[in-house]
Amino acid sequence: MIEKIKETVKKLFKENKIDIFIGYNEGTLPLRSTPCFITKPEDIEKLVWNSYCSNNLAVYLPRFFVPQQGAKDAKLPRIGILAKGCDGRSIVGLIKEHQIPRENIYIIGIHCGGMIDTKKIKKVDIVAAEEKNDKVLVEDEDKRKVELKKEELLADMCKTCQYTAPVVYDILLGKEKQKTSKEDREAFIKEFEKKPLEERWKYFQEQISKCIRCNACRQACPNCYCKECFADQTKPKWIGPTNDISDVMFYQIGRIFHQAGRCVDCGACVRACPMDVDLRVFTYKLIKDVKEFFEYEAGVSLEENPPLATFKQDDKQEFITEP
Amino acid sequence: MSNPYVPMPVTIEKIVIENKVRDIKTFDLRFNDKKDADRFKFNCGQFAEISILGVGESPIGIASSPMDEDFVQFTVKKYPTGTVTSVLHNLCTGDVIGVRGPYGNGFPMKEFEGKNLLIIGGGFALTTLRSLTKYILHKKNRQCFKDITLLYGARGPGELIYRSELDEWDKRDDINIILTVDDRCGLDWKGCVGMVPNVLKEQAPGSKDCIALVCGPFIMVKYTIPPLLDLGFIPEKIFTSLEMRMKCGIGKCGRCNIGSKYVCKDGPVFTYKELQGMPNEY
Amino acid sequence: MENKIFKLIKKKEILKLLESLTKEYNIFVPIEDNGDARFSEFKSGQDIYWDYRNTKISPKEILFPQAETLFCFGPEAEVKSEEPASGGKGYLIFGIRPCDAKAISLLDKVFGGEDFEDPYYLERRKKTTVISLACNKPQIDCFCTSLNGKPDNEEGADVILFDLGEDILAGAVTKKGEKFIEKQNKWFEDAGQSDVAKKDKIMDLSLKKIKSQIDIQNIKERLDNDFTASFWDEIHQKCLGCGICTYFCPTCHCFDITDEINPKAADSKTPKGKRVRCWDSCMYPLFTLHASGHNPRPTYKERMRQRIMHKFNYCPENYSEIFCVGCGRCVRNCPVNIDLREMLISIESTK
Repeated sequence: MIEKIKETVKKLFKENKIDIFIGYNEGTLPLRSTPCFITKPEDIEKLVWNSYCSNNLAVYLPRFFVPQQGAKDAKLPRIGILAKGCDGRSIVGLIKEHQIPRENIYIIGIHCGGMIDTKKIKKVDIVAAEEKNDKVLVEDEDKRKVELKKEELLADMCKTCQYTAPVVYDILLGKEKQKTSKEDREAFIKEFEKKPLEERWKYFQEQISKCIRCNACRQACPNCYCKECFADQTKPKWIGPTNDISDVMFYQIGRIFHQAGRCVDCGACVRACPMDVDLRVFTYKLIKDVKEFFEYEAGVSLEENPPLATFKQDDKQEFITEP
Repeated sequence: MSNPYVPMPVTIEKIVIENKVRDIKTFDLRFNDKKDADRFKFNCGQFAEISILGVGESPIGIASSPMDEDFVQFTVKKYPTGTVTSVLHNLCTGDVIGVRGPYGNGFPMKEFEGKNLLIIGGGFALTTLRSLTKYILHKKNRQCFKDITLLYGARGPGELIYRSELDEWDKRDDINIILTVDDRCGLDWKGCVGMVPNVLKEQAPGSKDCIALVCGPFIMVKYTIPPLLDLGFIPEKIFTSLEMRMKCGIGKCGRCNIGSKYVCKDGPVFTYKELQGMPNEY
Repeated sequence: MENKIFKLIKKKEILKLLESLTKEYNIFVPIEDNGDARFSEFKSGQDIYWDYRNTKISPKEILFPQAETLFCFGPEAEVKSEEPASGGKGYLIFGIRPCDAKAISLLDKVFGGEDFEDPYYLERRKKTTVISLACNKPQIDCFCTSLNGKPDNEEGADVILFDLGEDILAGAVTKKGEKFIEKQNKWFEDAGQSDVAKKDKIMDLSLKKIKSQIDIQNIKERLDNDFTASFWDEIHQKCLGCGICTYFCPTCHCFDITDEINPKAADSKTPKGKRVRCWDSCMYPLFTLHASGHNPRPTYKERMRQRIMHKFNYCPENYSEIFCVGCGRCVRNCPVNIDLREMLISIESTK
């Protein structure tokens, strides 16, 4: 698979179709790969593709298209990007919100078998790891070797993935992977919804009280591209930058609700969060609600209008006219 | 130990609108507590943090001279995005705000004694240079310095600040005032017309035994330094004052550094020679 | 550590010792939290996480919390300074790792200083006794030895402890540490030669475990001339600007000051509220944004350069110390696996 990817990228550079390619390189820690930016064909050899390529690369796209001061007629770069299903859905969202031009992006779609969540291995210092088909062989610091089942290490959102490849692509590599049922994906949310209100609120408070306002969730999210986030505004000042529960609550609720109708459940925020805040139980609830109320799923169609950013003549207006 | 984060309360005694568009005001402040007034001993070129409780703080250069004993003056431009400056401009005489300081290194006045001084200001950055000029012109200090030339320019006549003071100084024979505007803007203007660097090339005094001080928008300073070097000023004898976003003002919060120097602590006054040794990040 | 007199105490006895000190000190110990470690106030009956590798967030938050009130102000614009809520007790940071203890000594230089002193940090620091716990098992991303550190480094600690299994070996480092052990003498026995030999053996093995070694002896001099070098163009590309590295770093100290108003105050001209300081990060885009709209560090490149230069060039210039202790937190927690060690090696190797 990696050879096919390298071949495709080499061809793109040879045919002068792209200026930069965003993919993955080998990480410096076991079970990690790291994003890379290739401008020279000789760096293509360093590309990797494995179950550690969890970062959502779409987050890097908007910064290439920020209008530069004093360079109005500057040529926009042509970016090639390796996209898993989730990355592809983010790219669709960014195109629809006019943050990146479709014609400047070359999407190499790839069927993804799921990514490992390194947070599932705790308390053991892993010094080396090797992926072999559906197993992961890890070696700890005392030179003990353990064989772990890859499917047990997969991130929760990967276990029940509905779109293993991007819906919009220029070329698609790999073999289609078996999809799980939609019910399985929603199971954890349905369980949570059954709980009484007080219990759900208590869980929410418990989780967000871990937040240290590092903003990693926001920075890792491809949808959070605002030049000035509401959380940083001083005029008006919505919230302070402290980790007081009132500031944290407003920040989390505000940011998550800003994702309504846009979040593609890629898990970048969950993976980035250093304090293991359970964000997904809140973000996914919004996805489920949007699906229920508007029959809309973000990131799967370039044509469909996002319901929360679209106004129709027959939209209800009583909430304005008869508050 | 004393707490450098707590502001000293001051009352606004007088507000003067300095320019035609009314977004630059000079505030005369009096310390509510005499002990604070006694502690607030400053040099020309230093700044203080103007503190408005509930809003925030803003580092502003001190515009009054150390010889003014009854009050401290600050000239503040209102920025649309600035929370503190916007609120400050809506305040009236009698309102109480806070001041923390004085901070910064200030101009090395001792080094200037016995020398000619070429003071160059642009736009509303004349404030700390006004502090310096008032100090020098004070009868106790004038004899310590030789010839003084003040070259001050703004975009138009309506943008020049401290007009009444400039007119008074123009009448004196111990200081040479050269005023210039980029454009007359259709007004009755009798002074020079031209950007500061160009007027400098035409009218500057010699550089022998002379110190140059330049304060203004960065682009103006950038184009004023080459003519100064051409006139024979060496980098150690060209002084400027930098601005940076600040919070603590005392070199702890890590925000205002250029290279290893904190603008609030090691500056804001730097010589051109020092600037040459600092990274180009301002 | 020549001629150091070592004392011995059983781990079980330490819990009792700490219990007896709760009236005198606010005690912070490492505890287990969902598979990770963090510093928390010692509660009676709770065990210490002796085998912890290192805490997620560095213990700098004990002396320099994420958010703290500088002062409150009232409707008459009167200002009431906030004293750190110590309850009149001292602070005991127990079981901190040597790298983090060294970091405290670096923060002392920032918040102390001849010109201005930070009363909030220093008041706490004066009353703090630091009891460090030497590392038996460094992690794969620890690199303290590249920065003149080691698993049993003493800088910043008042007392250093060694985990021998059931027993703890204790050695005083500073006068404060000596006084502490003297005062608590009834809990300790004298250590024997064999105990000290056991400690030496554990430390030897521990030192060998640190595989990460980078040669940065001359990094400051190197960086003196590298401000406009081309490697800065690439080194920043992966960075998300998330700030995790700075928040977790035990030597990072940048902060923001902001005012909070109580909205229920009657008169809006002179409101009731407080001025707060909280952590900030030079990696954030708005960190150096001027009100005029100008930003001297407009892209990730300038901000990444600032971070590296600050730690490895500007601080050595101002405080004669590199502001990195090799704890590895930034490496471990970066969501995109930006590895500081790799960056330093690539800087060193660029001609």
